[in-house]
Amino acid sequence: MAEERTRSTSSGSSASRPRRQFKTRYVRKPRFCQFCSDKTLEIDYKNTAVLRKLTTEEGKIRPRRQTGTCAKHQRAVAREIKRARHIALLPFTGGTWEEKIR
Amino acid sequence: MNHYELVVIIHPDLDDEAIGQALDRITTWITDGGGSIDKTNKWGKRHMAYQIQKQNEGIYYLLDVSISPTLIAELERNLTILEPVMRHMIVAK
Repeated sequence: MAEERTRSTSSGSSASRPRRQFKTRYVRKPRFCQFCSDKTLEIDYKNTAVLRKLTTEEGKIRPRRQTGTCAKHQRAVAREIKRARHIALLPFTGGTWEEKIR
Repeated sequence: MNHYELVVIIHPDLDDEAIGQALDRITTWITDGGGSIDKTNKWGKRHMAYQIQKQNEGIYYLLDVSISPTLIAELERNLTILEPVMRHMIVAK
């Protein structure tokens, strides 16, 4: 529905332009929590492949509104990311040191 | 007796003998208190996400440990003192 509205306004007048740019900035939220739909997917500090996807490039924990994770699993994700950071599997800030050298 | 996961990061410049000695000491601390090491998992030398003690690499060991919860504080203190261990983490399973 939202898509329809932007399309109709953009074809109409030039006044809708800034609004459209604003809309495209948003990352579309996945409809389901990936950990609820896939029970085999483990949230564990050792499983860095999964945790890496849930952090930004700067190493921050990505918010629920971006990843679509449910509240229960987001708490687990935050806990495990912090554990992984402590034993240097994930960075606190920035990328890994290898990337910094390059 | 509770189950824990213990991750230790050992200094990368040490030889096998020194690493063995460090692990032996950890083992004795655990077994003296009536605990046991159920499984030793060597991840080997790997790059760390950031430097610890000016090192880019660390030797990772994951130990599955059964130990009484009252002894965790003491084990934790011992591990901080043990020099070859750069970083450790105890997680309840």
